Amino acid sequence: MNVFQELKKFLYQLLNSVDGLHSILITDRDGVPVISVSDEKAPELAMRASFLSTFGMATDQGSKLDLGKNKTIISIYSSYQVVQMNKLPLVVSFIANNICDTGHILSLESKIDPILQNLKNVVAEA
Amino acid sequence: MLPKPLQRRQWAAGMSDGDAANERTRLLVNPVSNTPNIPTAHSDDYVNPYANPVPKKTDEQSALNRILQETAANVIDVGALDSHNLEQHEYMDRSKAYAKRIEVIGVQIPDHPPCLLKDIPAPERVLAGEGLPQQDREMVTDMMNSAVTALSEIQVEHKEDLVVPFLS
Repeated sequence: MNVFQELKKFLYQLLNSVDGLHSILITDRDGVPVISVSDEKAPELAMRASFLSTFGMATDQGSKLDLGKNKTIISIYSSYQVVQMNKLPLVVSFIANNICDTGHILSLESKIDPILQNLKNVVAEA
Repeated sequence: MLPKPLQRRQWAAGMSDGDAANERTRLLVNPVSNTPNIPTAHSDDYVNPYANPVPKKTDEQSALNRILQETAANVIDVGALDSHNLEQHEYMDRSKAYAKRIEVIGVQIPDHPPCLLKDIPAPERVLAGEGLPQQDREMVTDMMNSAVTALSEIQVEHKEDLVVPFLS
């Protein structure tokens, strides 16, 4: 099994460990996926680059509020919730249903962090 | 009273209206690396031109420009945010390039040590699930009872003398 597939398998394990989580996307600043996994219930529109890339701007502007650097933005809608983490040059986005345990999603950060360092190199050098 | 940096920002924000293009470019060029450093750089750079009694015109101009740029970087101007949508082919190209680079660079996947206890996605489902069948429970109880009986019936069988003469 190649690296890409192993990485996907790892992300699928994380995806399945949280009930109601539909998608994990690791993208660059513009919303272009470096790697992503999702199940069949993931809302297609929320996985588009045009939607994911808005986080890059929002996190920059949010960092100007004198509250420190913005790390995570959680948006909860009536049917879905989107948790996006600032790991620039990467952005990690989680898309889940509205009743999913948000704290459980946030706890995935520590599990996903170890793979991000290598992936940052992928984006930085590409 | 407002803190000094805030007053300056407001003043400069008023001045910057004519130079909106500059403001936009500054925001988009390097927004991330700018943001965390700004408060310190801002105040230091700002004080210097005024400490100088007779600033040269170019110095003053560049100082003003710098103030303008820093202010622009500090202002949250939603209208100036420009979402540049990627072309479809650019999106595909980049995505493919990333996939290739992952193969080249390689990513160390952390191995989870097996845990006795692990996260359950939906605990209420497990907790509300059916209990142990009566038959299984009986079997477990029977085996436990047999084990207890066996333990209680352990006996030491006496075969030889416990005390033996060492030096005969």
